[in-house]
Amino acid sequence: MSSSDGAHANPHLAHHFDSIEKQDYAVRLGMWLFLGTEVLLFAGLFLGYTVYRHFYYEAFHEASRHLDLWAGTVNTVVLITSSLSVALAYHAIKQNKSKQCAGLLIFTIICAIAFLCIKGIEYHHKFQEGALPGAHYHYAEVTAPGANLFYTIYFLTTGLHALHVIVGMSILIWVLARVLKGEFSSSHYVPVELGGLYWHLVDLVWIFLYPLLYLI
Amino acid sequence: MAHQPAHSESGNGEHHTHGAGRYWIVWVLLICFTLLTWYTGSHHPNIFLALAIAVTKASLVVLFFMHMTEAPGANRLVFSVSLVFTAVMMIGVFGDLLTRNPMSLPTGSVPSEIHASEGHAP
Repeated sequence: MSSSDGAHANPHLAHHFDSIEKQDYAVRLGMWLFLGTEVLLFAGLFLGYTVYRHFYYEAFHEASRHLDLWAGTVNTVVLITSSLSVALAYHAIKQNKSKQCAGLLIFTIICAIAFLCIKGIEYHHKFQEGALPGAHYHYAEVTAPGANLFYTIYFLTTGLHALHVIVGMSILIWVLARVLKGEFSSSHYVPVELGGLYWHLVDLVWIFLYPLLYLI
Repeated sequence: MAHQPAHSESGNGEHHTHGAGRYWIVWVLLICFTLLTWYTGSHHPNIFLALAIAVTKASLVVLFFMHMTEAPGANRLVFSVSLVFTAVMMIGVFGDLLTRNPMSLPTGSVPSEIHASEGHAP
């Protein structure tokens, strides 16, 4: 970025890489490494879930039945569809179709907002019922020992996931702004690809959260 | 073994071009699996079936939406290692849960019979 020698013909090539191929290889590898750490972050939470579900088996089953299955199922469809649209956006930019790519990214961002709204409505219902995490739990309908642990894990996992939705959405908005400025093309599209990869990870985590929270 | 000339020169990072139809097929499969997990989960909950479906769905996302099938070996390796470590942690934790002395269980806990069927009586 800082070099002014004009040696590099490609403006997207950082000075510490020999070629754009090596740079692309490195950033993709870096992204997959990061995704690996994300998997391990959620793996820890899934382990906590496994342990508490083992100890409070019936309470988890009963508490799970009090979640809004419809909201969870609709949100699953929303996220899967948004994963499709971001994959299609990547496909479009590789073929130099910037407008189509921008449209698909806008659709993905709308899906992200829809997901957060549905999750917000779900949270609101649970707050009203008193199904709160930790010491604040006073949900009258599920009083078995361990039920509050289910809701603690529910809020922890879905809350961390929702944070990922917000981060992923912000990245896609940034990518969209650059697509609209015409910065990407069939010869330079790696940021679209990496933003998409992060979004797919968000979908990936939800694919496991949905059955483990709503359908046990 | 004869080489396939069409694909022999690529391989370093540069992705093959394929139609968008592949993404739509994956999406239809993901929706079908979601409906299957919803139907089975709300009628006959079975954690093993639910997890098998989730693993299938996740594999579809990783292999095709995230293009793991086209990724170079190093990318596959670093991601696979995180899955292996997850499996190691899971095995360790299950080892603990399956061999616990009843005295060490938390008060009020009713542990699941992991060996028994996971189906719930209605």
